[in-house]
Amino acid sequence: MSLVLVDCGYTYPDGTVGLKGVHLEARAGEKLLVTGASGSGKSTLIRLAAGLLQRHGDGLVTGSVSIGGRDPVPLPPAERASSVAFVSQIPTDQLITGSIADELAFGLESAGWSRERIDARIDEIWSRLGLGVSLHRDPSTLSGGQTQRVVVAAATAVGAPVLLLDEPLAQLDSEGIAELLLLLSELAEDGVTVVVVEHRLEVCLPWADRVVVLKNGAISRICNPSEVQVSKSAGQTRAAAPGGAVVAQVRDLRFGYGETPVLKGVDLAIRAGESVALLGPNGVGKSTLLAAFSGEIPGAVTTGRVVDVPQDPDLALFCSTVREELAFGPTDWGISPTETDERVARVAASLGISGLMDRAPQALSRGQRLRVAVGAAVTTEPALLLLDEPTAGQDRESIDGIMDALVALPGETSVIFATHDTELARRRAHRIAFLSDGVIARIVEPGDP
Amino acid sequence: MDPRTRLLLLLALGALAVLLDRPSSLLLLAVVASMPLLGLPIGWVWRRRALVMAAAVVWATVLSQGLFYGDVPREPLLSLGPVVLYREGVAHGLVQSLRLVAMTFAGLAVAVSTPPDRLFAALVRLRCPYAVAFLAVTAIRFVPVVGRELWLVRRARQRRGRPLSARSPWAWGRQELLLLRPVVARSLRRSRALAEALDTRGFDPDVPRRLRRPLKMRIWEPALLTAVWSGVFAIGSMEVLYRAYLAELVYSPALRPVFGLVRNWL
Repeated sequence: MSLVLVDCGYTYPDGTVGLKGVHLEARAGEKLLVTGASGSGKSTLIRLAAGLLQRHGDGLVTGSVSIGGRDPVPLPPAERASSVAFVSQIPTDQLITGSIADELAFGLESAGWSRERIDARIDEIWSRLGLGVSLHRDPSTLSGGQTQRVVVAAATAVGAPVLLLDEPLAQLDSEGIAELLLLLSELAEDGVTVVVVEHRLEVCLPWADRVVVLKNGAISRICNPSEVQVSKSAGQTRAAAPGGAVVAQVRDLRFGYGETPVLKGVDLAIRAGESVALLGPNGVGKSTLLAAFSGEIPGAVTTGRVVDVPQDPDLALFCSTVREELAFGPTDWGISPTETDERVARVAASLGISGLMDRAPQALSRGQRLRVAVGAAVTTEPALLLLDEPTAGQDRESIDGIMDALVALPGETSVIFATHDTELARRRAHRIAFLSDGVIARIVEPGDP
Repeated sequence: MDPRTRLLLLLALGALAVLLDRPSSLLLLAVVASMPLLGLPIGWVWRRRALVMAAAVVWATVLSQGLFYGDVPREPLLSLGPVVLYREGVAHGLVQSLRLVAMTFAGLAVAVSTPPDRLFAALVRLRCPYAVAFLAVTAIRFVPVVGRELWLVRRARQRRGRPLSARSPWAWGRQELLLLRPVVARSLRRSRALAEALDTRGFDPDVPRRLRRPLKMRIWEPALLTAVWSGVFAIGSMEVLYRAYLAELVYSPALRPVFGLVRNWL
């Protein structure tokens, strides 16, 4: 079945136009990629297509949405779920039950399927998913990629002909991305229309059949993936500081959670002014190693103040305005108001958030919140700055803004950032540490082959 | 065990915690309530923490009640100059804190051992209003998550600024309150994602769901519940008779063993 949007628009209660005059048709079995800069209306478009804004939004909706010629919005919930499935960004927030089997069964139970049919359907889905874990396992204990696949399978269990996904790759490593895109391709081969909103063009373009580019709430163009140019980062590494003193070090660091060892003997020394990227698949221990450098778990020796930006930027924003957030650290440490203002203005400019200074940080978009969180850490000018996945769910422009803010740090500040983005690490780090099976498998410099 | 059985046992334990008045009987109740925690797949670190918390609650309540007990007659248990610890206050503190500990242990055991969807199904089957059931189960499910987030926010705050303790108590308190802001914002976002997941998976509060694993009590569960609730009613009835006797409303020599049992044991 095809998904058709006719002259769709959405105006937020404060009068901001989120989407305007969108005409779009996604054909049965098509893999459609929707992309655009942060704030271009991608999430609004996909929520409108899912009928969520019509039912739960406070703003003004215009135009119409139809699936197979039928408007899904007025349908009863179970029937609507049989028409269109929706998956949002953070997989763990969408888990409803305590086991994978119950998660897969939830939509089927809502649709009133018999127990025998539900069990047969779960068997069918399970053999396709091939997760290699128990069906009775708590889904919140799976890796990001596995959880996202369970959520997609649960959302499409009743056989909705249209599947909409809002930035499903944001939290996944390359392995998780490959697994999820394969699952989505299989669904498309079965005739499901798959619409994905995503920033990560380099991995999505080879997968998509067509690309929709949004700009300022309107469709700027619809084209083939081959016609889309992936913008490469033009950024640069911070000035190198060869031979600086060691400011942080771990030696033969071993750490595990319960019975499961995560780090199995990691050696790493960070010199003053150095930027080091940690690369490796989900669960390999990148965040655990950062936790050691931050002092959360024992084992690292550091000198000077260590500031970290958590994976979830929401948890680092506690002030009333962006300005207060950026000024919090310097003010609290007794830096003069003049110097604080200068630092705040410089960092805000490099992050592209100067226009948001009087807004509440918690009310900004995810990308903006992340930039504010990074900015708030940068203004403290720590000896060591730790960034856990600083680019998750960001478009290239935002990523460059974040990394440019690091270039503006004082020369002696060291940075360690965990990322899945090899290209970013190559361009922005002095050294790249590849973690594998709980140890640093190799350390390379960007110029190395 | 069927989640309805667990909830009805929890309710029975709550009724007993209210009915019992003696520290010794409440201590026994708290010990019984802590037993299921031993069988749950949680680490010994958390068990130790639960015990330490329980001990801290009992100690703090006993001390405050012992020091500030205002009813008369009261008998000093310990005097250190102007500071007097009263026997009745200590007993009162023990009763209050053991009630809380017993209920907390039992509630924790049910919350940890029962998947949220099964708990929800059980509440609905027990005629709990739909909205209340959903609210309660969602709140229970996210308690550990919110606790962890609060810790992360506090840590992020401490990394960026001076230690919280390096300021006046008033400023410290204000800072602690500010830390709730991001946790609330994150909870609202999580609620939206969960609501969207429910909505788009066809969940309808007005339509009964056909559960894949229907709630089913084992053959011994109704018998267990009957025995436990009979005991609760028996204790409740004895307490009522004893109160009526104290108020000089009821007296019969045949009831003297009942009055003695309540006075000495319950």
